[in-house]
Amino acid sequence: MERSDIEKLLRKVMAKFVDQEVIPVAREHDESGDFPYDLFKKIADMGILGIRYPKKVGGSGGNTTLYCITVEELARGLLSLGATTAMQCLMATDGLYRYGTDEMHEKYLRPAMRGEKIGAFQLTEPEAGSDLSNVRTRAIKSDDGWIINGMKTWSTSGPIGHFHTVLTQTDPDKGLRGLMFVFIPTDTPGFSHSKKFDLLGTRTTQMSEIYFNNCHVPDEYMLGQLGRGLDVLLTILSEIRVMTAALALGLQRAAMDDSIKYCKERVQFGRPISSYQLIQAKIANMAVNLEAGTLMSYKVTHLIDKNIPCLNEASMAKYFTTESACKAADEATRIFGAYGYSMEYNVQRYYRDNRFLLYGGGTHEVLQTTIARQYLR
Amino acid sequence: MNIITLIKQVPDTTDIKTDPKTGNLIREGIESIINPDDRHAIEVAVSLKEKYKGKSIVVSMGPPQAIDAISEAIGMGIDEGILLADRNFGGADTWATSFTLGKAIEKINAYDLILCGRQAIDGDTAQIGPQVAEFLGLPQLTYVMDIEEVDDRRIIVKRGLGNGYERVESPLPALITVIGELNKPRYPRVDLLINACKENARITLWNAADLKVSVQEIGLSGSLTRVIKTFSPKVKREGEMLKGDKGEAVGQLIERLAGNYLI
Repeated sequence: MERSDIEKLLRKVMAKFVDQEVIPVAREHDESGDFPYDLFKKIADMGILGIRYPKKVGGSGGNTTLYCITVEELARGLLSLGATTAMQCLMATDGLYRYGTDEMHEKYLRPAMRGEKIGAFQLTEPEAGSDLSNVRTRAIKSDDGWIINGMKTWSTSGPIGHFHTVLTQTDPDKGLRGLMFVFIPTDTPGFSHSKKFDLLGTRTTQMSEIYFNNCHVPDEYMLGQLGRGLDVLLTILSEIRVMTAALALGLQRAAMDDSIKYCKERVQFGRPISSYQLIQAKIANMAVNLEAGTLMSYKVTHLIDKNIPCLNEASMAKYFTTESACKAADEATRIFGAYGYSMEYNVQRYYRDNRFLLYGGGTHEVLQTTIARQYLR
Repeated sequence: MNIITLIKQVPDTTDIKTDPKTGNLIREGIESIINPDDRHAIEVAVSLKEKYKGKSIVVSMGPPQAIDAISEAIGMGIDEGILLADRNFGGADTWATSFTLGKAIEKINAYDLILCGRQAIDGDTAQIGPQVAEFLGLPQLTYVMDIEEVDDRRIIVKRGLGNGYERVESPLPALITVIGELNKPRYPRVDLLINACKENARITLWNAADLKVSVQEIGLSGSLTRVIKTFSPKVKREGEMLKGDKGEAVGQLIERLAGNYLI
């Protein structure tokens, strides 16, 4: 007997969850700007936060494809919820999963998968964004561990996180080969954060600066090997990029769904505006980009699931889908006319939220350079 | 406690369209879902299993793709599923369907409670639960809106009556049909859903031979009813002027309202 297709079934289940639980409250959460703890707990109860991890550590035994289907659907409802969930599933916990001790899994990883603890991933500094060789947060070896000093900015979940995976520099002379990730719980003495940033979009995402003032962590909190921080990052970079692509697909679908509904209802000159060819062209472009982006993105997830290197394909998927999402949100506001400029409709949120995707997971200016490098060398 | 839940995969009728010429449902592009009332029955089964242990099984009769409904039920926490799929089951009315489901339940044999949704959103008959109970000779508690007590010998429930409720006790085994007020069904868990889609998922296929039933007893041949035509009834609102003076008109109005049980 043929079994159910898990990819189709999970998408259906997630679509129902998003339609029933997320979309009805998305506006309220966006307006308040508060972290959606209630939705996050519901997501955890469905086993989504452990979707990438094996059952032996309390995960759900899924893979990158299922992970991306899930975050795509969540992003269709509320991009910031999709992004927060994506972070918890991947960047915030992957180092802990791969390099953490059993005790750390018990204390942090399992509670994170249950939605009881929030994790964060700290890369960016004021002088080090795309240029990680300039990371200045220092990790200095002590007798029984590491002493961390420095700061991070654009720290997703910085003000609310319970633990942080932090990129540090152990030897500035070594540049990229001096990098190392460390695990820093928020209750470590010397840890603090700024007030929450006021953001244009993805307003439920809690971002801040975070500061380390002589934070001491034990040796086992070093994630990966000394000086191999870049390798740790490269382990999940394709996944980070395709996850961002999945978020973009979700946003595109929301913009397209709203546009289709509106243009069929809005009557001008005695007929729905969907009957006008210039509106049809916008819908057609959205549909073509969505189809192409979907094919690109899920090609990448399937390659990752087969352990086939695909960083260039992942970069292209992230670049293409995010640019398409920006276009879709822009066109949606045009289809809505003046109503697209009103806070009354959700298309304004898509227009604001999509900007986040341009920077998260690598700026497009850098991505284009790295993509081109593959062909020009 | 061993619980059998009967579920049906139905078209998602929130956006239903019918062919104006044939009257048939346009199924193209329509998602199939677990019948909404059946989700509440699944929630009861999973909650009771969590509390009292035992085994929970879902049974569904339908085409091969109805396996998705069973997989989703397993994702919600049901232990195993049985799909009754056979070309000869096709075209069954509620009588033939109840007979087939009843035969499957007899084959399972060990059960304390059978759960059904009140009715399916495609057929809207609400006949399957009661008919299965009759076939098996079990007490039936329909329109259940609350389960107050249950142990290995009896169950006490509230039956929703529209304008109130009725508190009823029944010995077990029994069959109950549930309504939406009873609970809020949980969403499936990803790990259970993944298990449900694996080759070794605990889902069994039974056909007519497995149930030891003859072709004459099942499907279209075993049905007592025939659908001649399906159409959307045209509802026409018609006003009526009551004649006479005020007193007479009011009297007539009260008479009509009382006659239609509206007051």
